[in-house]
Amino acid sequence: MSATATVTVSFDGVSFRYPDTDAPTLSDVDLQIHEGELILVIGPTGSGKTTFLRAINGLVPHFSGGRLGGRVRVSGHDTEHHAPRELADVVGFVPQDPSDSFVCDTVEEELAYAMENLGIAPVVMRRRVEETLDLLSITDLRDRNTATLSGGQQQRVAIAAVLTASPRILVLDEPTSSLDPAAAEEVLAAITRLVHDVGLTVIMAEHRLERVGHLADRVIIFDGPTPTIAEPAEAMISAPVVPPVVELGRAMGWRPLPLSVRDARRHAAELRERLGSTTAPPASMPAEQHVIDQIDEIHGNGAGDSIPEPVVAASHVTVRYHRSPALRDVDLVIRAGEIVSIMGRNGAGKSTLLHVLAGLRSPDGGSATILGASPHGLTGHERIRRVGLVPQDPSILLYAETVDGECRLADREGGLAAGTTADTLERLMPGLAPHAHPRALSEGQRLALALAVVMAHEPRVLLLDEPTRGLDYPAKRRLADSLDDLAGRGVAVVFATHDVELAASVAHRVVVLAGGEVIADGPARDVVCHSTVFAPQVAKIMAPDEWLTVEEIVRALDRGTTVP
Amino acid sequence: MTATVAPPVVRAEPRPVHPGAWWTWAVGLAATSARTSNLAILGLIAVVVCLVVWACRVPTPLAHAHALFLRLALAVIVLRMVLQILFAPRIPGHVVFTLPEATLPGWAAGISIGGPVTVESLVGGFIGAARLALVLICIGAVNTLTTPSRLLRSLPAVLYEAGVAVTVALTATPQAVISTERIREARLLRGRPTRGPGALRGIAVPVLDGALARSLTLAASMDARGYGRRALDGSRHRWSGVVLIIGLVTLCVGAYGVLAAGTGPQLGAAGLGAGTLCCGIALLAASRGGVRTRYRPVRWDGRASALALAGIAPLAATFATDPLVLQPPLTPLSWPTVPTAIAVGLIIALAPMVVAPNAERSDARSGDPS
Amino acid sequence: MSAAITGDVSPLDRRGPRSARRSRPSGGVIGVGLRGSAALIAISVVGAASFLWPLVARPAAAAGDLAHATDAPWLVLAIMPLLIAVLIGELTAGRIDAKAVALLGVLTAAGAALRMPTGGIAGLEIVFFLFLPAGRVFGRGFGFVLGAVTLFASALLTGGIGPWLPFQMLAAGWVGFGAGCLPRARGRSEIVMLGVYGVVAGYAYGLVMDLWFWPFATSSGNGLSFVAGDPVLSNLRRFWAFHVATSLGWDTARAISIIVMTVVLGRPVLAALRRASQRAAFDAPVEFGDH
Repeated sequence: MSATATVTVSFDGVSFRYPDTDAPTLSDVDLQIHEGELILVIGPTGSGKTTFLRAINGLVPHFSGGRLGGRVRVSGHDTEHHAPRELADVVGFVPQDPSDSFVCDTVEEELAYAMENLGIAPVVMRRRVEETLDLLSITDLRDRNTATLSGGQQQRVAIAAVLTASPRILVLDEPTSSLDPAAAEEVLAAITRLVHDVGLTVIMAEHRLERVGHLADRVIIFDGPTPTIAEPAEAMISAPVVPPVVELGRAMGWRPLPLSVRDARRHAAELRERLGSTTAPPASMPAEQHVIDQIDEIHGNGAGDSIPEPVVAASHVTVRYHRSPALRDVDLVIRAGEIVSIMGRNGAGKSTLLHVLAGLRSPDGGSATILGASPHGLTGHERIRRVGLVPQDPSILLYAETVDGECRLADREGGLAAGTTADTLERLMPGLAPHAHPRALSEGQRLALALAVVMAHEPRVLLLDEPTRGLDYPAKRRLADSLDDLAGRGVAVVFATHDVELAASVAHRVVVLAGGEVIADGPARDVVCHSTVFAPQVAKIMAPDEWLTVEEIVRALDRGTTVP
Repeated sequence: MTATVAPPVVRAEPRPVHPGAWWTWAVGLAATSARTSNLAILGLIAVVVCLVVWACRVPTPLAHAHALFLRLALAVIVLRMVLQILFAPRIPGHVVFTLPEATLPGWAAGISIGGPVTVESLVGGFIGAARLALVLICIGAVNTLTTPSRLLRSLPAVLYEAGVAVTVALTATPQAVISTERIREARLLRGRPTRGPGALRGIAVPVLDGALARSLTLAASMDARGYGRRALDGSRHRWSGVVLIIGLVTLCVGAYGVLAAGTGPQLGAAGLGAGTLCCGIALLAASRGGVRTRYRPVRWDGRASALALAGIAPLAATFATDPLVLQPPLTPLSWPTVPTAIAVGLIIALAPMVVAPNAERSDARSGDPS
Repeated sequence: MSAAITGDVSPLDRRGPRSARRSRPSGGVIGVGLRGSAALIAISVVGAASFLWPLVARPAAAAGDLAHATDAPWLVLAIMPLLIAVLIGELTAGRIDAKAVALLGVLTAAGAALRMPTGGIAGLEIVFFLFLPAGRVFGRGFGFVLGAVTLFASALLTGGIGPWLPFQMLAAGWVGFGAGCLPRARGRSEIVMLGVYGVVAGYAYGLVMDLWFWPFATSSGNGLSFVAGDPVLSNLRRFWAFHVATSLGWDTARAISIIVMTVVLGRPVLAALRRASQRAAFDAPVEFGDH
């Protein structure tokens, strides 16, 4: 950025503390953001990213209370003297869950809402609504009810709703966290167009760095209450959370750090040669063989020929919602100790399939059985011993007022010995405060608690619906380890996700659904590496060789170097 | 911003009629029904309402309300008839049948049940019930002629905050319903019962928690989009406050007049009327000024005026009619006649069929889950 | 402080720069100012008159008056919507910030959504029940507005707007207001107090709505109808007979369900609302430090 570029947002010695807390959430924040920049804010969960974003438009401290020291200026306005409503035409703030922030029930009225508050003339309002609909490519959604939109559409409508007020600064809190890759691409394309064509300043926080890492002009890293700001290549060298491409670059010592797959491929050619000469990537094994190996490890016997019995058997499952089919003739067989990832676009039927397997819905055609019996209509103890489902929002499973209370409740429900759930929780996530209220926990902690509550009854099948929403990389790694651990003990794990990195790192098998039908079902490596949509970053970098994670490559290199 | 550029004409759509016009029409017809006990007139009013509803119905989430109101009207008729048969006054007339008599003891006000049931009392009861039922049907009709969102959009500016609260409620309810369903499923997953008091607690509390959490996000988003900007006009505010206080005092006087002894009902009615007028003026005055504008406001145009007049016409006709024809006596029973003034008024009340027929079909929200 | 009394300045603008926000007096989330109180009292008087007039009706002095005497209910029916609009306008215009509006809407939605699984004969019970803890936690003004807004939104969501709606809104508003007037208590005594108030309010609500319906349901001369000119007590006895005949059953069912809900839901709902009130930081001081 040239030194003469206008400064739109400046933080001077800013520190902030929420009411009734001692530790400051932000401290000594000193940075300046120039006009037209796309700034990425990264950091582990709970590190103050959201507070920082809210400080830009004044929601912190006017809305939340607390003590703000220092000065925050946006386009010359000091947030001390301007409440958020006065900055509505200066800063547009898009919160994390856009469906929660809709006021009106049609898209067009939602777009006009901000302008109504600002007292803009109706003639101008009409024009701006049309222009904004075009800008974000949502013209066909004009008359739709906001409750019927898909995730990507909701995100774009939420962005449009703040854009109609013509702000020059746009602040987004995790815009793509709950979106499938295709919808995320649409949203990011819209954001990029806003930056490059319209010239807005965009500041966004994001966990899924593999999608956005290469787009940013500068990166703000929160590793504590004081952030640092730097160019992406510099920042990623020491950032606490990094996408797989940067992780690979760091492990291989590539400089400058590649931020996108394209950058990395330039270095990858040499890496492929190195690997090709010493080791071969793990061959794609048939799923059964993999499972047999695992069970051999557990039982330590040499019965390597017997294939374990299927635990989950779904055949010709058909489900119809209001006469439109959600699942069409789905066949699925899963054995004990397998980890299966179900992938597909939002709306392809992943959740429906999980609901059928969990027995929440009986299929309109075909049958689904768990251990030979249909899960539908099971009650109480029978159900929780057979199958457990962790839904998309794990907090709806939690009733009690404290973590400790939740564990005791789970023990009582399942007739378990006191402390079983607490032990399971300790294994999954050590160090959780027993008296915390479940809603006050972070996303990863809530997921761990829900997982513990479900796993304490030791069901033979564990189902998870979109478990990675809102999780940062360390939390995802911990989840992957837990799932591995569970599978090692003979639990069949099935999770629906569009997070390709998680699927690549832990799944044995991948099933892809589209339009309610199974279009791919095979070992993870086969299905995922050659797909354009579902390939993890490492696979894209190392194509045509089939590598899934950075750990694999590092382990292969280590093994290679020890071979004489 | 060049205000001289004309807005792009994107879609040609018929503009909706102001909901106030429909309400005026309906209230006019309802008031006409209330003022008369002439069965013929009541029957004609029912026909007029049904015709207009059939012709001018709008796709609205409350389309079933008309059927509900019809059923309610029927229930009211039945209730009144039953009460009339059981507790009828002993007026002489042609006896139809006789119920066994009984007298409730003194502590129950010494009311006598049963006794001879005469045609006059049956007819009288039916007329009273029909009048009430017709009022219900007229009001119920409006629910199918205009949509809730249009109604909320045309509220005066003074009710803006309350209107936003109702809009938020309407938008958040489907989400809350889905969340309730998910929580019920989660209970099934944890092997807990989904019926009974334990389930009530286990479902209601998480739904409430979720709704409360949602409210904070919503409030932040509203704040960030400028909610609460209001340039208050000090002098207008004071002036409208004075008018309001006058109106409130007059209202209290009117209420006293209605209740207290000695003063006739005229004072009470006059007081109430004047007080209401003052309050209405204060309301409208306070609604002007302020920063907010409206996107696509529903305008009061010629069609709305025509509709309002069409509703007032039959009411005006009742004032020009002989009260004996409006309220024919029960003894002796005779077939009622319809005076020409009222007939003309009712034909005018059919005007909506011509002025605003099926005009708002395109208002249907596409993409709603079937 | 004079600005607060005349209500000229929106509470949102009262805060000056570099000052901690004055903590709100215990009037609750929606403060009822002087104008609001005046409107509330006056329109409640009119509302009470509209319910009570049959008990104290005077006989018609002349034949012409007879027609006018029976016009009274229709007249009040016609003006009540406007009066309710004025009242709500006075209580809310410029006085609610985004958090309170969002809370209002969301509590209404939660009540409406919970009607389905909880059932209930009239379907109104859980909606009714929610007025009690909400009025208690968030104050009387909020309780009143919540009652009115909930009934209006329920009408828009389910049955449609009927002529009874303004009266229902007023009565429900009184229930919410009363819940905010209950004295301080905590723990078990709070639940008991809320339950008792709920039962009383439930019966009173049913009584008042039945009283409103009474002159419409019984024609003049009917044994159960009011008799203009009779002493209040005999009219009351007739009304009581009417009430027993028509709605006492519903009211008792409502009272039972309120008791059940208070026992089962009272404590957790109060806790959830208090937690939300804390998180919303209605009174949290906003401070700015030195540079």
